[in-house]
Amino acid sequence: MRREPRSVDYLPDPRPDVGTGRTPPAPGRQAILLASLSVGALLLAMQLWLLTVALELYLNGNDDNGIWVLAGLSGLVVVGGGLVLRMLARRARLRW
Amino acid sequence: MSRIPGRDYRQQLAEEEPWRQQFPYHWDADEAVTRREFVRFAVLTSGALFVGTVVLGILGKLDSRKRTKRQLIMKVGELEPGHAKYFHYPNSGDQAMILRLNDGSYAAYSQKCTHLSCAVYYQPKENTLHCPCHEGYFDPVTGEPTAGPPQRRLPRITVEEQGGNLYATEMNP
Repeated sequence: MRREPRSVDYLPDPRPDVGTGRTPPAPGRQAILLASLSVGALLLAMQLWLLTVALELYLNGNDDNGIWVLAGLSGLVVVGGGLVLRMLARRARLRW
Repeated sequence: MSRIPGRDYRQQLAEEEPWRQQFPYHWDADEAVTRREFVRFAVLTSGALFVGTVVLGILGKLDSRKRTKRQLIMKVGELEPGHAKYFHYPNSGDQAMILRLNDGSYAAYSQKCTHLSCAVYYQPKENTLHCPCHEGYFDPVTGEPTAGPPQRRLPRITVEEQGGNLYATEMNP
């Protein structure tokens, strides 16, 4: 992705977000954003845990559908993440 | 670089250090990860974890097909109580053992320790299965770990008697 040079950004600016190309969120939205990112991180941790449980089931030789239930839950998280990405992309398009 | 009073410092820098013209990025911008990039990376990681779980499911199904095989072990009564015989099951490279327990019954297990895959041996005097690599011990009746680092029981082999012979029919990890 090519970034357009901005001649005013040579020097560090003590103000946060100045020159980084980011627009700071509104004060009320900062907490919502951080909470959303935290929930995402928690879901990732949960997926990692699901993977370890699946590994344990596999090593124990469980032939029932336990691993597939775990894979289904993990897949739901992926689908949710994909939907969030799509929603963000749509919002960005609407903004422009 | 000394700052010239009365002159725009940024303009002065740009003239005295030409590389800033070619790389005109704020150094915070060079290292910044936007929230959008973070979310995209998180979704990719999430997808990788999902694929890993699915692969384990597929491997589990493939393994369950491979573990069923009928193979002659020995004749009934060939083994005295308190003794073990070592053989290969289900493939020629997989070591296994059949034990004649003190009560006369049989138990068969994979010889592969569930800790780090060293060979496990029967010790009739102590009535235990011993892994000498890391001092792991298993119960010869159930195959469950009793001491040492192993956390999972030994894969058990189903033994069937037919026509005076003992057959291994299935491996249950």
